[in-house]
Amino acid sequence: MSLEFLNAFKFLKRDTFLHNLDPRSKLLFALIYTVGALLFTEIIPLTFLFISLIPIILSGRLLNKWIKSLRGLSFLYILIIILNTLFIPENGFSFAIAMVLRISIMVSAFSVFFLTVDPNDLALSLISMKVPYEFAFSFSLAFRFVPTISIEAQNIIDAQQSRGYEMKKSGIINQIKNLFPLLVPLIIGSIKRAFNVAEALESRAFGSNKDRTFYFSIKYSYKDWIFTIYLLVMLFLLIFIRIEFNSMPSWFSWGFPL
Amino acid sequence: MMQDVDFAYSDGTVALRRINLGINKGDFVAIMGQNGAGKTTLIRTLNGLLRPTNGTVFLDGQDISNKTIANLSQKVGIIFQNPMHQLFSNTVEEEINFSLKSLDISKEEIKSRINTILKQFDFIRYRERSPFNLSGGESKKLAIASIVCRNPDILVFDEPTLGQDEKEINFIINLLNSEITKGKTIIIVTHNIEFTMEYIPRTVLMRGGQIVADGPTEYVLTNQNLIKNTSMVLPYIQQFKIALQQVGINIPDEIFKKQDVIEYLSEYLKNYSLDVKEGSN
Repeated sequence: MSLEFLNAFKFLKRDTFLHNLDPRSKLLFALIYTVGALLFTEIIPLTFLFISLIPIILSGRLLNKWIKSLRGLSFLYILIIILNTLFIPENGFSFAIAMVLRISIMVSAFSVFFLTVDPNDLALSLISMKVPYEFAFSFSLAFRFVPTISIEAQNIIDAQQSRGYEMKKSGIINQIKNLFPLLVPLIIGSIKRAFNVAEALESRAFGSNKDRTFYFSIKYSYKDWIFTIYLLVMLFLLIFIRIEFNSMPSWFSWGFPL
Repeated sequence: MMQDVDFAYSDGTVALRRINLGINKGDFVAIMGQNGAGKTTLIRTLNGLLRPTNGTVFLDGQDISNKTIANLSQKVGIIFQNPMHQLFSNTVEEEINFSLKSLDISKEEIKSRINTILKQFDFIRYRERSPFNLSGGESKKLAIASIVCRNPDILVFDEPTLGQDEKEINFIINLLNSEITKGKTIIIVTHNIEFTMEYIPRTVLMRGGQIVADGPTEYVLTNQNLIKNTSMVLPYIQQFKIALQQVGINIPDEIFKKQDVIEYLSEYLKNYSLDVKEGSN
Protein backbone atom coordinates (compact mmCIF):
# COMPACT_ATOMS: atom_id res chain seq x y z
CA MET A 1 0.00 0.00 0.00
CA SER A 2 1.25 3.42 -0.81
CA LEU A 3 0.44 6.69 0.89
CA GLU A 4 1.62 8.65 -2.11
CA PHE A 5 -1.79 10.28 -2.50
CA LEU A 6 -0.94 12.35 0.61
CA ASN A 7 1.65 14.12 -1.55
CA ALA A 8 -1.33 15.66 -3.30
CA PHE A 9 -1.66 17.91 -0.23
CA LYS A 10 2.00 18.89 -0.03
CA PHE A 11 2.93 22.48 -0.84
CA LEU A 12 4.96 22.88 -4.02
CA LYS A 13 6.44 26.28 -4.83
CA ARG A 14 5.46 27.48 -8.31
CA ASP A 15 5.00 30.75 -10.10
CA THR A 16 1.34 30.71 -11.14
CA PHE A 17 -1.67 32.99 -10.67
CA LEU A 18 -3.03 30.72 -7.95
CA HIS A 19 0.29 30.33 -6.11
CA ASN A 20 0.84 34.08 -6.07
CA LEU A 21 -2.49 34.87 -4.46
CA ASP A 22 -2.61 35.87 -0.81
CA PRO A 23 -3.23 32.87 1.53
CA ARG A 24 -6.28 34.69 2.97
CA SER A 25 -8.03 34.81 -0.41
CA LYS A 26 -7.26 31.09 -0.89
CA LEU A 27 -8.63 30.33 2.57
CA LEU A 28 -11.79 32.23 1.62
CA PHE A 29 -11.92 30.18 -1.59
CA ALA A 30 -11.71 26.88 0.34
CA LEU A 31 -14.34 28.01 2.86
CA ILE A 32 -16.80 29.36 0.25
CA TYR A 33 -16.57 26.21 -1.86
CA THR A 34 -17.10 24.11 1.28
CA VAL A 35 -20.16 26.17 2.25
CA GLY A 36 -21.40 25.96 -1.37
CA ALA A 37 -21.05 22.17 -1.32
CA LEU A 38 -22.93 21.95 1.97
CA LEU A 39 -25.82 24.07 0.66
CA PHE A 40 -26.97 21.46 -1.86
CA THR A 41 -27.90 17.79 -1.95
CA GLU A 42 -28.85 17.86 -5.64
CA ILE A 43 -26.57 16.62 -8.41
CA ILE A 44 -26.90 19.51 -10.89
CA PRO A 45 -25.85 22.48 -8.69
CA LEU A 46 -23.05 20.38 -7.19
CA THR A 47 -21.86 19.42 -10.68
CA PHE A 48 -21.75 23.11 -11.67
CA LEU A 49 -19.81 23.92 -8.54
CA PHE A 50 -17.42 21.05 -9.21
CA ILE A 51 -16.89 22.12 -12.84
CA SER A 52 -16.24 25.71 -11.72
CA LEU A 53 -13.22 24.42 -9.79
CA ILE A 54 -11.48 23.12 -12.91
CA PRO A 55 -10.32 26.47 -14.40
CA ILE A 56 -8.97 27.48 -10.96
CA ILE A 57 -7.06 24.19 -10.66
CA LEU A 58 -5.74 24.57 -14.21
CA SER A 59 -4.55 28.11 -13.46
CA GLY A 60 -2.32 26.65 -10.72
CA ARG A 61 -1.07 23.78 -12.97
CA LEU A 62 -2.32 21.31 -10.38
CA LEU A 63 -4.32 18.94 -12.55
CA ASN A 64 -2.19 15.79 -11.89
CA LYS A 65 -1.98 16.35 -8.14
CA TRP A 66 -5.71 17.08 -7.94
CA ILE A 67 -6.58 13.88 -9.83
CA LYS A 68 -4.25 11.96 -7.48
CA SER A 69 -5.96 13.39 -4.39
CA LEU A 70 -9.39 12.39 -5.73
CA ARG A 71 -8.14 8.95 -6.74
CA GLY A 72 -6.90 8.45 -3.18
CA LEU A 73 -10.50 8.73 -2.02
CA SER A 74 -11.87 6.13 -4.44
CA PHE A 75 -12.42 3.62 -1.61
CA LEU A 76 -14.51 6.17 0.29
CA TYR A 77 -16.52 6.96 -2.85
CA ILE A 78 -17.34 3.29 -3.40
CA LEU A 79 -18.37 2.96 0.26
CA ILE A 80 -20.63 6.04 0.03
CA ILE A 81 -22.28 4.81 -3.17
CA ILE A 82 -22.89 1.27 -1.85
CA LEU A 83 -24.16 2.30 1.60
CA ASN A 84 -26.42 5.10 0.37
CA THR A 85 -27.86 3.05 -2.48
CA LEU A 86 -28.58 0.15 -0.15
CA PHE A 87 -29.91 1.99 2.89
CA ILE A 88 -31.72 5.04 1.52
CA PRO A 89 -35.06 3.81 0.23
CA GLU A 90 -35.82 6.66 -2.22
CA ASN A 91 -33.28 8.03 -4.77
CA GLY A 92 -30.40 6.54 -2.78
CA PHE A 93 -28.08 6.36 -5.79
CA SER A 94 -28.71 10.01 -6.75
CA PHE A 95 -28.07 11.08 -3.18
CA ALA A 96 -24.87 9.00 -3.12
CA ILE A 97 -23.60 10.68 -6.31
CA ALA A 98 -24.44 14.08 -4.82
CA MET A 99 -22.49 13.19 -1.66
CA VAL A 100 -19.51 12.04 -3.76
CA LEU A 101 -19.61 15.39 -5.57
CA ARG A 102 -19.91 17.24 -2.25
CA ILE A 103 -16.85 15.49 -0.79
CA SER A 104 -14.92 15.96 -4.04
CA ILE A 105 -15.61 19.72 -3.99
CA MET A 106 -14.51 20.08 -0.35
CA VAL A 107 -11.40 17.91 -0.81
CA SER A 108 -10.50 19.74 -4.03
CA ALA A 109 -10.91 23.17 -2.44
CA PHE A 110 -8.69 22.28 0.51
CA SER A 111 -6.26 20.36 -1.70
CA VAL A 112 -5.82 23.56 -3.77
CA PHE A 113 -5.32 25.51 -0.55
CA PHE A 114 -2.67 23.13 0.87
CA LEU A 115 -0.90 22.76 -2.47
CA THR A 116 -0.54 26.48 -3.05
CA VAL A 117 -0.05 27.99 0.41
CA ASP A 118 3.43 28.10 1.90
CA PRO A 119 3.23 27.11 5.63
CA ASN A 120 5.12 30.28 6.56
CA ASP A 121 2.63 32.48 4.70
CA LEU A 122 -0.19 30.64 6.40
CA ALA A 123 1.13 31.67 9.83
CA LEU A 124 1.51 35.28 8.63
CA SER A 125 -2.01 35.39 7.25
CA LEU A 126 -3.45 34.03 10.49
CA ILE A 127 -1.53 36.64 12.45
CA SER A 128 -2.90 39.36 10.18
CA MET A 129 -6.36 38.06 11.10
CA LYS A 130 -5.48 38.75 14.76
CA VAL A 131 -4.91 35.10 15.66
CA PRO A 132 -2.30 34.99 18.50
CA TYR A 133 1.17 34.13 17.23
CA GLU A 134 1.43 30.93 19.33
CA PHE A 135 -1.75 29.52 17.74
CA ALA A 136 -0.83 30.66 14.25
CA PHE A 137 2.62 29.11 14.58
CA SER A 138 1.22 25.82 15.94
CA PHE A 139 -1.25 25.65 13.06
CA SER A 140 1.40 26.27 10.42
CA LEU A 141 3.72 23.76 12.12
CA ALA A 142 1.01 21.08 12.06
CA PHE A 143 0.46 21.90 8.40
CA ARG A 144 4.18 21.56 7.69
CA PHE A 145 4.38 18.14 9.34
CA VAL A 146 1.77 16.50 7.09
CA PRO A 147 4.36 15.27 4.53
CA THR A 148 6.71 14.18 7.35
CA ILE A 149 3.95 12.10 8.90
CA SER A 150 3.06 10.61 5.53
CA ILE A 151 6.70 9.51 5.05
CA GLU A 152 6.75 8.07 8.56
CA ALA A 153 3.47 6.23 7.97
CA GLN A 154 4.94 4.69 4.82
CA ASN A 155 8.05 3.59 6.76
CA ILE A 156 5.83 2.00 9.42
CA ILE A 157 3.84 0.12 6.79
CA ASP A 158 7.10 -1.11 5.22
CA ALA A 159 8.55 -2.16 8.60
CA GLN A 160 5.41 -4.07 9.58
CA GLN A 161 5.07 -5.72 6.18
CA SER A 162 8.65 -6.93 6.55
CA ARG A 163 7.53 -9.06 9.45
CA GLY A 164 4.52 -10.58 7.79
CA TYR A 165 1.89 -7.90 8.43
CA GLU A 166 -0.85 -8.02 5.81
CA MET A 167 -2.66 -4.85 4.86
CA LYS A 168 -5.87 -6.45 3.66
CA LYS A 169 -7.93 -8.53 6.06
CA SER A 170 -11.49 -9.73 5.73
CA GLY A 171 -14.20 -8.53 8.14
CA ILE A 172 -14.65 -5.07 9.63
CA ILE A 173 -13.45 -6.07 13.15
CA ASN A 174 -10.29 -7.60 11.69
CA GLN A 175 -9.71 -4.52 9.56
CA ILE A 176 -10.00 -2.25 12.61
CA LYS A 177 -7.71 -4.52 14.67
CA ASN A 178 -5.33 -4.49 11.74
CA LEU A 179 -4.87 -0.74 12.06
CA PHE A 180 -3.21 -0.98 15.50
CA PRO A 181 0.26 -2.01 14.23
CA LEU A 182 0.22 1.12 12.06
CA LEU A 183 -1.53 3.65 14.29
CA VAL A 184 0.27 2.96 17.59
CA PRO A 185 3.82 3.62 16.27
CA LEU A 186 2.53 6.59 14.25
CA ILE A 187 0.77 8.24 17.22
CA ILE A 188 3.61 7.56 19.64
CA GLY A 189 6.14 8.86 17.10
CA SER A 190 4.06 12.01 16.56
CA ILE A 191 3.73 12.68 20.30
CA LYS A 192 7.49 12.22 20.75
CA ARG A 193 8.16 14.57 17.85
CA ALA A 194 5.78 17.15 19.31
CA PHE A 195 7.69 17.08 22.62
CA ASN A 196 11.02 17.35 20.82
CA VAL A 197 9.82 20.31 18.74
CA ALA A 198 8.42 22.00 21.87
CA GLU A 199 11.74 21.56 23.70
CA ALA A 200 13.70 22.81 20.68
CA LEU A 201 11.44 25.88 20.46
CA GLU A 202 11.69 26.63 24.15
CA SER A 203 15.46 26.32 24.04
CA ARG A 204 15.37 29.04 21.35
CA ALA A 205 13.33 31.32 23.65
CA PHE A 206 10.04 30.88 21.82
CA GLY A 207 7.41 33.27 23.19
CA SER A 208 9.86 35.29 25.30
CA ASN A 209 8.84 38.54 23.65
CA LYS A 210 5.23 39.45 22.85
CA ASP A 211 6.10 42.13 20.28
CA ARG A 212 7.94 40.30 17.59
CA THR A 213 8.92 41.27 14.06
CA PHE A 214 8.59 39.24 10.88
CA TYR A 215 11.15 38.73 8.14
CA PHE A 216 8.52 38.24 5.43
CA SER A 217 5.25 40.10 4.90
CA ILE A 218 2.14 39.33 2.85
CA LYS A 219 0.02 41.73 0.85
CA TYR A 220 -3.54 41.63 -0.46
CA SER A 221 -3.07 42.67 -4.10
CA TYR A 222 -5.64 43.77 -6.71
CA LYS A 223 -5.64 40.15 -8.02
CA ASP A 224 -6.73 39.01 -4.57
CA TRP A 225 -9.55 41.57 -4.56
CA ILE A 226 -10.75 40.41 -7.99
CA PHE A 227 -10.67 36.79 -6.79
CA THR A 228 -12.47 37.74 -3.55
CA ILE A 229 -15.22 39.60 -5.44
CA TYR A 230 -15.68 36.58 -7.72
CA LEU A 231 -15.97 34.31 -4.65
CA LEU A 232 -18.45 36.59 -2.86
CA VAL A 233 -20.64 36.96 -5.97
CA MET A 234 -20.61 33.20 -6.31
CA LEU A 235 -21.54 32.75 -2.66
CA PHE A 236 -24.51 35.15 -2.94
CA LEU A 237 -25.61 33.40 -6.12
CA LEU A 238 -25.45 30.00 -4.43
CA ILE A 239 -27.41 31.23 -1.39
CA PHE A 240 -29.99 32.79 -3.73
CA ILE A 241 -30.37 29.53 -5.66
CA ARG A 242 -30.77 27.62 -2.38
CA ILE A 243 -33.47 29.98 -1.09
CA GLU A 244 -35.29 30.14 -4.41
CA PHE A 245 -34.64 26.52 -5.32
CA ASN A 246 -38.33 25.74 -5.85
CA SER A 247 -38.65 28.50 -8.44
CA MET A 248 -35.62 27.25 -10.40
CA PRO A 249 -36.14 25.28 -13.66
CA SER A 250 -37.12 21.67 -13.00
CA TRP A 251 -33.85 20.27 -14.47
CA PHE A 252 -32.06 21.81 -11.47
CA SER A 253 -33.38 19.03 -9.28
CA TRP A 254 -32.72 16.25 -11.80
CA GLY A 255 -31.54 12.95 -10.38
CA PHE A 256 -31.06 9.34 -11.39
CA PRO A 257 -34.23 7.27 -11.25
CA LEU A 258 -32.62 5.15 -8.49
CA MET B 1 20.46 -11.51 -7.51
CA MET B 2 19.66 -8.19 -9.17
CA GLN B 3 19.83 -7.78 -12.91
CA ASP B 4 19.87 -4.33 -14.53
CA VAL B 5 17.66 -2.92 -11.78
CA ASP B 6 16.54 0.70 -12.04
CA PHE B 7 14.25 2.44 -9.61
CA ALA B 8 12.73 5.91 -9.70
CA TYR B 9 10.37 7.43 -7.13
CA SER B 10 7.08 8.96 -8.28
CA ASP B 11 8.52 12.49 -8.00
CA GLY B 12 11.08 11.51 -10.64
CA THR B 13 14.07 10.99 -8.34
CA VAL B 14 16.16 8.17 -9.77
CA ALA B 15 17.40 6.11 -6.81
CA LEU B 16 18.88 3.06 -8.54
CA ARG B 17 20.58 2.85 -11.93
CA ARG B 18 21.53 -0.38 -13.66
CA ILE B 19 22.18 -2.36 -10.50
CA ASN B 20 23.74 -5.77 -11.11
CA LEU B 21 24.46 -7.58 -7.89
CA GLY B 22 24.87 -11.24 -7.05
CA ILE B 23 24.74 -12.40 -3.45
CA ASN B 24 25.10 -16.11 -2.68
CA LYS B 25 23.65 -18.11 0.18
CA GLY B 26 25.79 -17.63 3.30
CA ASP B 27 27.38 -14.37 2.09
CA PHE B 28 28.03 -11.59 4.58
CA VAL B 29 27.89 -8.27 2.73
CA ALA B 30 28.03 -4.61 3.68
CA ILE B 31 26.36 -1.97 1.53
CA MET B 32 28.01 1.39 2.01
CA GLY B 33 27.94 4.83 0.46
CA GLN B 34 27.06 8.42 1.18
CA ASN B 35 23.53 9.56 2.11
CA GLY B 36 21.21 9.35 -0.89
CA ALA B 37 23.39 6.75 -2.63
CA GLY B 38 20.43 4.36 -2.91
CA LYS B 39 21.35 1.85 -0.17
CA THR B 40 17.97 1.79 1.57
CA THR B 41 16.09 1.80 -1.73
CA LEU B 42 18.17 -1.19 -2.84
CA ILE B 43 17.29 -3.28 0.21
CA ARG B 44 13.61 -2.38 -0.09
CA THR B 45 13.51 -4.02 -3.51
CA LEU B 46 14.62 -7.32 -1.96
CA ASN B 47 11.27 -8.14 -0.36
CA GLY B 48 9.03 -6.31 -2.81
CA LEU B 49 8.39 -3.18 -0.73
CA LEU B 50 9.59 -1.33 -3.80
CA ARG B 51 9.25 -2.81 -7.26
CA PRO B 52 12.00 -1.94 -9.79
CA THR B 53 10.98 0.35 -12.62
CA ASN B 54 13.26 -1.74 -14.86
CA GLY B 55 15.21 -4.95 -14.43
CA THR B 56 14.61 -8.03 -12.31
CA VAL B 57 15.27 -9.17 -8.76
CA PHE B 58 15.75 -12.92 -8.34
CA LEU B 59 15.44 -14.87 -5.11
CA ASP B 60 16.59 -18.50 -5.12
CA GLY B 61 16.80 -18.17 -8.90
CA GLN B 62 13.17 -17.07 -9.23
CA ASP B 63 11.90 -13.71 -10.44
CA ILE B 64 10.12 -12.04 -7.50
CA SER B 65 8.06 -9.56 -9.54
CA ASN B 66 4.82 -11.52 -9.12
CA LYS B 67 5.37 -12.54 -5.48
CA THR B 68 3.67 -10.75 -2.60
CA ILE B 69 5.51 -8.90 0.17
CA ALA B 70 4.01 -11.33 2.70
CA ASN B 71 5.43 -14.24 0.75
CA LEU B 72 8.86 -12.66 0.27
CA SER B 73 9.09 -11.56 3.91
CA GLN B 74 9.23 -15.20 4.96
CA LYS B 75 12.57 -15.46 3.18
CA VAL B 76 13.89 -11.92 3.50
CA GLY B 77 13.70 -10.21 6.90
CA ILE B 78 14.48 -6.51 6.86
CA ILE B 79 15.29 -4.80 10.14
CA PHE B 80 14.64 -1.10 9.71
CA GLN B 81 16.77 1.70 11.09
CA ASN B 82 14.14 3.08 13.47
CA PRO B 83 12.83 0.38 15.83
CA MET B 84 9.96 2.65 16.87
CA HIS B 85 8.41 2.09 13.43
CA GLN B 86 7.72 -1.52 14.38
CA LEU B 87 6.84 -1.63 18.05
CA PHE B 88 3.20 -1.34 19.05
CA SER B 89 2.25 -4.23 21.38
CA ASN B 90 1.58 -4.10 25.11
CA THR B 91 4.47 -6.38 26.06
CA VAL B 92 7.78 -7.58 24.67
CA GLU B 93 6.37 -11.11 24.44
CA GLU B 94 3.36 -9.94 22.39
CA GLU B 95 5.67 -8.04 20.08
CA ILE B 96 7.53 -11.25 19.21
CA ASN B 97 4.23 -13.14 19.01
CA PHE B 98 2.94 -10.68 16.37
CA SER B 99 5.86 -11.51 14.09
CA LEU B 100 5.25 -15.23 14.43
CA LYS B 101 1.47 -15.19 13.97
CA SER B 102 1.70 -14.73 10.21
CA LEU B 103 3.89 -17.83 9.82
CA ASP B 104 2.15 -21.12 9.21
CA ILE B 105 3.33 -22.74 12.47
CA SER B 106 1.59 -24.37 15.44
CA LYS B 107 0.86 -22.62 18.76
CA GLU B 108 3.42 -24.85 20.51
CA GLU B 109 6.04 -23.90 17.95
CA ILE B 110 5.20 -20.18 18.46
CA LYS B 111 5.58 -20.59 22.24
CA SER B 112 8.86 -22.41 21.89
CA ARG B 113 10.25 -19.83 19.45
CA ILE B 114 9.22 -16.98 21.78
CA ASN B 115 11.05 -18.61 24.70
CA THR B 116 14.15 -19.29 22.63
CA ILE B 117 14.32 -15.76 21.27
CA LEU B 118 13.66 -14.14 24.66
CA LYS B 119 16.54 -16.18 26.09
CA GLN B 120 18.85 -15.49 23.14
CA PHE B 121 18.24 -11.75 23.37
CA ASP B 122 18.30 -11.68 27.18
CA PHE B 123 14.71 -10.45 27.30
CA ILE B 124 13.30 -12.99 29.80
CA ARG B 125 13.24 -10.30 32.51
CA TYR B 126 11.47 -7.87 30.14
CA ARG B 127 8.88 -10.40 29.00
CA GLU B 128 5.92 -8.46 30.46
CA ARG B 129 7.39 -5.02 29.98
CA SER B 130 5.98 -2.51 27.49
CA PRO B 131 8.26 -2.10 24.46
CA PHE B 132 7.88 1.65 24.95
CA ASN B 133 9.62 1.45 28.32
CA LEU B 134 12.79 -0.03 26.85
CA SER B 135 15.94 2.01 26.26
CA GLY B 136 16.94 2.96 22.69
CA GLY B 137 19.43 0.08 22.45
CA GLU B 138 16.97 -2.45 23.88
CA SER B 139 14.23 -1.28 21.48
CA LYS B 140 16.61 -1.89 18.61
CA LYS B 141 17.39 -5.34 20.00
CA LEU B 142 13.66 -6.09 20.22
CA ALA B 143 13.13 -4.97 16.63
CA ILE B 144 15.96 -7.33 15.59
CA ALA B 145 14.49 -10.15 17.71
CA SER B 146 11.08 -9.70 16.09
CA ILE B 147 12.62 -10.43 12.68
CA VAL B 148 15.19 -13.07 13.71
CA CYS B 149 12.41 -15.14 15.36
CA ARG B 150 10.82 -15.58 11.92
CA ASN B 151 13.97 -17.43 10.86
CA PRO B 152 14.31 -15.92 7.36
CA ASP B 153 17.08 -17.18 5.05
CA ILE B 154 18.25 -13.63 4.38
CA LEU B 155 18.65 -11.03 7.13
CA VAL B 156 18.94 -7.41 6.07
CA PHE B 157 19.94 -4.80 8.64
CA ASP B 158 19.62 -1.06 8.05
CA GLU B 159 22.20 0.73 10.21
CA PRO B 160 22.29 -1.84 13.05
CA THR B 161 25.07 -0.09 14.97
CA LEU B 162 23.58 3.41 14.85
CA GLY B 163 23.14 4.79 18.37
CA GLN B 164 24.31 1.54 19.99
CA ASP B 165 26.83 1.41 22.84
CA GLU B 166 29.79 -0.99 22.85
CA LYS B 167 27.95 -3.73 24.74
CA GLU B 168 25.06 -3.61 22.30
CA ILE B 169 27.41 -3.61 19.31
CA ASN B 170 29.16 -6.68 20.74
CA PHE B 171 25.78 -8.37 21.07
CA ILE B 172 25.03 -7.61 17.41
CA ILE B 173 28.44 -8.97 16.36
CA ASN B 174 27.81 -12.23 18.25
CA LEU B 175 24.33 -12.48 16.76
CA LEU B 176 25.65 -11.95 13.23
CA ASN B 177 28.34 -14.60 13.73
CA SER B 178 25.82 -17.08 15.05
CA GLU B 179 23.44 -16.45 12.11
CA ILE B 180 26.33 -16.82 9.65
CA THR B 181 27.26 -20.21 11.14
CA LYS B 182 23.62 -21.26 10.63
CA GLY B 183 24.14 -20.59 6.91
CA LYS B 184 22.11 -17.37 6.77
CA THR B 185 22.84 -14.65 4.24
CA ILE B 186 23.43 -11.29 5.87
CA ILE B 187 23.28 -7.89 4.22
CA ILE B 188 24.10 -4.80 6.26
CA VAL B 189 23.53 -1.21 5.23
CA THR B 190 25.86 0.91 7.28
CA HIS B 191 27.93 4.09 7.50
CA ASN B 192 30.12 2.51 10.17
CA ILE B 193 33.34 1.95 8.24
CA GLU B 194 35.28 0.66 11.28
CA PHE B 195 32.63 -1.98 11.93
CA THR B 196 32.64 -3.06 8.28
CA MET B 197 36.44 -3.17 8.10
CA GLU B 198 36.64 -5.34 11.18
CA TYR B 199 33.79 -7.79 10.70
CA ILE B 200 32.29 -7.86 7.20
CA PRO B 201 34.26 -9.68 4.48
CA ARG B 202 32.58 -8.17 1.39
CA THR B 203 31.63 -4.57 0.68
CA VAL B 204 29.44 -3.08 -2.01
CA LEU B 205 30.04 0.63 -2.40
CA MET B 206 27.32 2.85 -3.91
CA ARG B 207 27.21 6.36 -5.26
CA GLY B 208 24.37 8.19 -7.03
CA GLY B 209 22.25 5.04 -7.30
CA GLN B 210 25.04 2.97 -8.84
CA ILE B 211 27.43 0.35 -7.57
CA VAL B 212 30.93 1.78 -7.86
CA ALA B 213 32.82 -1.09 -6.20
CA ASP B 214 32.10 -4.60 -5.05
CA GLY B 215 34.74 -6.86 -3.54
CA PRO B 216 36.69 -7.91 -0.46
CA THR B 217 36.35 -5.22 2.22
CA GLU B 218 40.12 -4.87 2.68
CA TYR B 219 40.47 -3.79 -0.95
CA VAL B 220 37.33 -1.67 -1.32
CA LEU B 221 37.67 0.32 1.90
CA THR B 222 41.42 0.91 1.57
CA ASN B 223 41.16 2.40 -1.91
CA GLN B 224 41.73 6.09 -1.26
CA ASN B 225 40.14 7.30 -4.52
CA LEU B 226 37.00 5.26 -4.03
CA ILE B 227 36.63 6.38 -0.44
CA LYS B 228 37.15 10.02 -1.35
CA ASN B 229 34.64 9.85 -4.22
CA THR B 230 31.97 8.43 -1.94
CA SER B 231 32.45 11.14 0.74
CA MET B 232 33.79 8.70 3.31
CA VAL B 233 36.91 8.67 5.44
CA LEU B 234 39.47 5.86 5.37
CA PRO B 235 39.19 3.44 8.32
CA TYR B 236 41.38 4.45 11.29
CA ILE B 237 43.43 1.32 10.94
CA GLN B 238 44.23 2.17 7.31
CA GLN B 239 45.11 5.76 8.27
CA PHE B 240 47.39 4.30 10.97
CA LYS B 241 49.05 1.98 8.44
CA ILE B 242 49.64 4.92 6.08
CA ALA B 243 51.17 6.93 8.94
CA LEU B 244 53.46 4.02 9.81
CA GLN B 245 54.43 3.66 6.15
CA GLN B 246 55.62 7.26 6.20
CA VAL B 247 58.08 6.41 9.00
CA GLY B 248 59.26 3.31 7.20
CA ILE B 249 57.11 0.60 8.75
CA ASN B 250 55.26 -1.27 6.01
CA ILE B 251 52.44 -3.49 7.16
CA PRO B 252 51.37 -5.93 4.43
CA ASP B 253 47.95 -5.38 2.76
CA GLU B 254 46.55 -8.69 3.99
CA ILE B 255 46.90 -7.44 7.57
CA PHE B 256 44.03 -4.99 8.07
CA LYS B 257 42.18 -6.00 11.23
CA LYS B 258 42.93 -4.18 14.48
CA GLN B 259 44.12 -7.24 16.40
CA ASP B 260 46.27 -8.49 13.49
CA VAL B 261 47.94 -5.09 13.16
CA ILE B 262 48.67 -5.01 16.91
CA GLU B 263 50.21 -8.50 16.75
CA TYR B 264 52.26 -7.62 13.66
CA LEU B 265 53.53 -4.44 15.28
CA SER B 266 54.45 -6.07 18.59
CA GLU B 267 56.36 -8.72 16.66
CA TYR B 268 58.01 -6.01 14.55
CA LEU B 269 58.95 -3.93 17.58
CA LYS B 270 60.37 -7.01 19.36
CA ASN B 271 62.77 -7.53 16.44
CA TYR B 272 63.47 -3.83 16.31
CA SER B 273 64.45 -3.61 19.99
CA LEU B 274 66.60 -6.75 19.52
CA ASP B 275 68.37 -5.00 16.63
CA VAL B 276 69.01 -1.99 18.86
CA LYS B 277 70.46 -4.20 21.61
CA GLU B 278 72.66 -6.06 19.15
CA GLY B 279 73.79 -2.77 17.64
CA SER B 280 74.70 -1.31 21.05
CA ASN B 281 76.82 -4.30 21.94
